[in-house]
Amino acid sequence: MPPKRKAQTAADAEAAEGWEEQDEGPMSDQETFDKLKDEFDVKAMTKRARMGRVKDAATDLFKKSDQWNAPLKPDHHNRPLWVHDAGGIILESFHPLFDEAQDFLINIAEPQSRVSRMHEYQLTTHSLFAAVSVGHSSQEIIEKLDKYSKTALSNTIVKFVEKSTSAFGKAKIVLKNTLSYIESEEPAILQRLLQDPIVASCRADATDGLIKQAAPKIGQMAIPGTKLAAGANQMAQQPQAAPKEPAPSEMIASLREDDDDDEVAQVHSFQIRSEERERVVKQCREIGLPLTEEYDFNNDTANANLEIDLKPHAQIRYYQEKALSKMFSNSRARSGIIVLPCGAGKTLVGITAACGVKKSVMVLCTSAMSVVQWRAEFIKWSNINPEDIAVFTADNKNSFPRNAGIIISTYSMISNARKRSHDAEKVMNFIRSREWGLLIADEVHVVPANIFKKVTYEIASHAKLGLTATLLREDDKIDDLNFLIGPKLYEANWQELSEQGHIARVQCAEVWCQMTPEFYTEWLKPSSTQKRALLSIMNPRKFQACQFLINYHESRGDKIIVFSDNVYALEKYSRKLGKAYIYGATPQQERLRILENFQHNDQVNTIFLSKIGDTSLDLPEATCLIQISSHYGSRRQEAQRLGRILRAKRRNDEGFNAFFYSLVSKDTDEMYYSSKRQAFLVDQGYAFKVITRLEGMENSENLAFATPSERRELLMDVLLARDEDAKQERIEGDAFGSNYASNKTKKKGGVRRAAGTLSDLSGGQTMAYMEFNKDRNKQLKGTKGVHNAFMRKLANSSKKKPS
Amino acid sequence: MVKAIRGTLVKCDASIKAMLVDIDSKNNNEYIIEELDEEHILVKETKINQLKARLNEASCCMMKTHLKEPESSDSDS
Repeated sequence: MPPKRKAQTAADAEAAEGWEEQDEGPMSDQETFDKLKDEFDVKAMTKRARMGRVKDAATDLFKKSDQWNAPLKPDHHNRPLWVHDAGGIILESFHPLFDEAQDFLINIAEPQSRVSRMHEYQLTTHSLFAAVSVGHSSQEIIEKLDKYSKTALSNTIVKFVEKSTSAFGKAKIVLKNTLSYIESEEPAILQRLLQDPIVASCRADATDGLIKQAAPKIGQMAIPGTKLAAGANQMAQQPQAAPKEPAPSEMIASLREDDDDDEVAQVHSFQIRSEERERVVKQCREIGLPLTEEYDFNNDTANANLEIDLKPHAQIRYYQEKALSKMFSNSRARSGIIVLPCGAGKTLVGITAACGVKKSVMVLCTSAMSVVQWRAEFIKWSNINPEDIAVFTADNKNSFPRNAGIIISTYSMISNARKRSHDAEKVMNFIRSREWGLLIADEVHVVPANIFKKVTYEIASHAKLGLTATLLREDDKIDDLNFLIGPKLYEANWQELSEQGHIARVQCAEVWCQMTPEFYTEWLKPSSTQKRALLSIMNPRKFQACQFLINYHESRGDKIIVFSDNVYALEKYSRKLGKAYIYGATPQQERLRILENFQHNDQVNTIFLSKIGDTSLDLPEATCLIQISSHYGSRRQEAQRLGRILRAKRRNDEGFNAFFYSLVSKDTDEMYYSSKRQAFLVDQGYAFKVITRLEGMENSENLAFATPSERRELLMDVLLARDEDAKQERIEGDAFGSNYASNKTKKKGGVRRAAGTLSDLSGGQTMAYMEFNKDRNKQLKGTKGVHNAFMRKLANSSKKKPS
Repeated sequence: MVKAIRGTLVKCDASIKAMLVDIDSKNNNEYIIEELDEEHILVKETKINQLKARLNEASCCMMKTHLKEPESSDSDS
C-alpha cells in the first residue's frame, strides 16, 4: 500500500483497516459487519453510555429515558421539545415554535403519536437515513435539535446522530443513460465500498473480481467535476480535492440552489454493471452503507419522454407539495414512501410525480376496481392522451401505442407465477423488456415483501414511489419496505389536515353492547374460535344497536356504510334490515349497481360491505360508518375503514362531522381487540368515546329480536351455522387473492365441494339440521333474485326521476 | 320437613351471571341455590369466597386463551 494513504481522513484509515482484515480472510469481515450493526443500535449505545451512571430509587421507573441530570437551559420555555437518551422526542404542540419544529422533526424522526397537546417522535436509523437522503447533514440535524431542545443534548444522542448519518445515505445509486453508477460526495466512502469484494466484482469495468486488484481501480473513479480524469495518480489527488470541497451542509445548499447543475458540486462515482444492481444494493446494505436510489430523469435521453402535464385546474395542496418536494429535492427523483391519510389525495400525488418525471410510468394497485379509478384520475387531472394509458388486468391487456406511456396494473397480475394467457404473456414481456421511469406502488403496506421483490425484479424502474395511509403491519415486515422501496419521505398529520378541512372531521365512538344471557352462556361453552366470534357478532343487542344507529343516521340524512368481516353476519344483518350488501362473491355487475344506487339514490342510504370495502373504495357520499365485526386487532384495518369516510363530500359544511362507530360485545374478546385496533388512530390524535348505553334505544319501536323467543331462534340459527360460515372471508379480488384481478369471479356458478358424512347427506342426522341448511341455501338464491329485481326497480325509478 | 340453606344474594351483570352459572354447572351445582332473574342469583353462603376465586380464575384464563393475534395472512394469501 502506498505510504500516502496514511495521510488520509479518519474514514480512510478505517477503510484501510478493513483492507488488512480482508487479507486475513472472510471471517474477520463478518465480525466487522456484526460490530457495525451493533454499533448502529441506539439502545445499545445508550446502554453503554449508561453503565457508569449513578442510580437511585427512581431510575427504574424511567427505563431508558432517565434524564434527571440533563441540565435545563435557562430559556427552556422558549424551546418546544425534549430529547431523551433512547432517541425519543417529545414536542409541545401548543408551543409558538411548534410548526417550525414539526417541519424539522418530520424530516429526521418518525412520528409515534400525535395527540392534541403532545407529539412524540422517535429517532431511528431509518429516519436519519431518510433525513440525509433529503439533504440534511448531521451537523445541521444536531444543531437544530439542540436549538429546539429544552435541555442540552446528551452525548449519546449526538453520537447516535453522527454515527448514523455518517454511514447512511452517503452513497447513492444513480441511473444515468440507463447505466448504473454509485455516487458519493466523499471519495472515502466509495473507496470503502470498493474494498468489498462483492461490490468490486460488480464494477462495470472490472477485469476480474480479485481483491488485490481493487486498489488501482479506485484511481479510475469518475469525478464529474474533472470529467473522468482517469489514471492511478488520481488517488493521490483525492486527498487534495477533499479539502477544496465545501462543507457538506453548504454543498447540499448549493445542490439545491443550482438545481440541475451537477457540474458545480463535486460528486464522485463509479459505474457498476446494471444486472448486478440488486447484489450491490444488498451488499452495501450489509456493510452498513445503504445506497439511496436516485434517478436523474432530466438527463435521461435513452428513454422517451411522455407528454404529460397537470391540467391547470389541478391544485396541489400544500402538504402534497411538501411531500413531492422531498421526492424531487435536487431535480432528481428519489425513491421512497409518502404517507398520507386516506382521502387526502394520494392519487394526485402519484399523478403529479408522474408529471414531474415525464417518462413511462407503471402504476400498481391492489384491485381491478382501483385500476379503473387510477385511470380515471389520470385522465381527470392530467392532459395525457387517454390512448397512452394502458390497463393490464384480467379483462384488459393492452400496451400503449407510442414509445412512452402509462400502464396501470395490479400486484397480482405482475407477480402471478402461474401460466398466463397468450395476451397477458405478451404484455408482461413488453413490461419486462423496457425501462420504466417511475413505479408507483399504491397501498404499499399491503404488499408482502416477497411479492414486491418479485415485482421489482420484473420491472426495471428508475424510481419507486410508495403511497399509503397506514404504514404499519401487525408483523414486522414493514421494515422491509425501507429497503425495497426507500425511506419514508413524508408523513402527514391527520389532525392538521382535518382541521384545515382537507379530510373530514370524525367523531369516533365505541359502543358497548351487553351480551344477552342466552348468547353469553353459549359463548362461555368451549367451542371453536369462529363460533365464539360469530356469537359475539350476532349478539342481538348489537344487532339492535346497529339497527338503532342506522335508523338514527338515516333520519339525519347520512349515508351509512356497515362493515362486517364476517360474511355470515353480513348476510344475516343486511337481509334482516333489508339493505343491500356486497361481499367477495358478489358479481361485478351487481356491485357497481349497488354502489351507484348508494351514491345517487336517496332510497338507498345504507350498504353493508365485507372486507372488500376496506381499501381503495371511493365513496365520498358516505358520512357514517358502523363496524360490527373486524379482523381481530388489526390497527391497519381500523384506519383504512375510517378512511372510507374521511373524504366525505360534505366535509366542509358548517359543523359537519362524520361518525365512526365500532360495535363491541361486552365481556368478549372483542373488547380487547377493539382497544388494540384503536391504537393507531389514537396515535393520530383521534379520541374514541365509549358509549355504554344508546340514548333512546329502549323506546324505539320495531327493534329486531325484541322478544326472547326471537332471540332464541337467532341463537339456534347461529349455533347451527357451520364453521365455514363463521370463518373470515377469503377475499377474491383484493390484492391478495388474485382471483378478482384474474377474473375468477365466474367461480360463483360452479360447484362447491364440502366435506360431509354419508349419514349427514342421507338425513341420518337430525332432520331439522338438514332441512334448515338446505332451506337457507334455497332462500339465499331466492332472495338474490328478488334482490336483483329490487335493485333493478330502484335503478329504473332513479332513471325516471330526472324526467 | 323444611330444609333451610343460608344464602347470599349476588347481583351482577347478565354476562357475569352466565359465567357463574357456567362455573356452577361444571362443579356439580354446589354453589347456586337459585337463579332468580337475569341479574340476581342466590348463592350458598359458605361457598361465596370459593366462587369468587373461581370466577377470577375463569375470567383470567378466558382472556388468555382465546385471544388471537391478527393474521398477517390477509396480505399473503
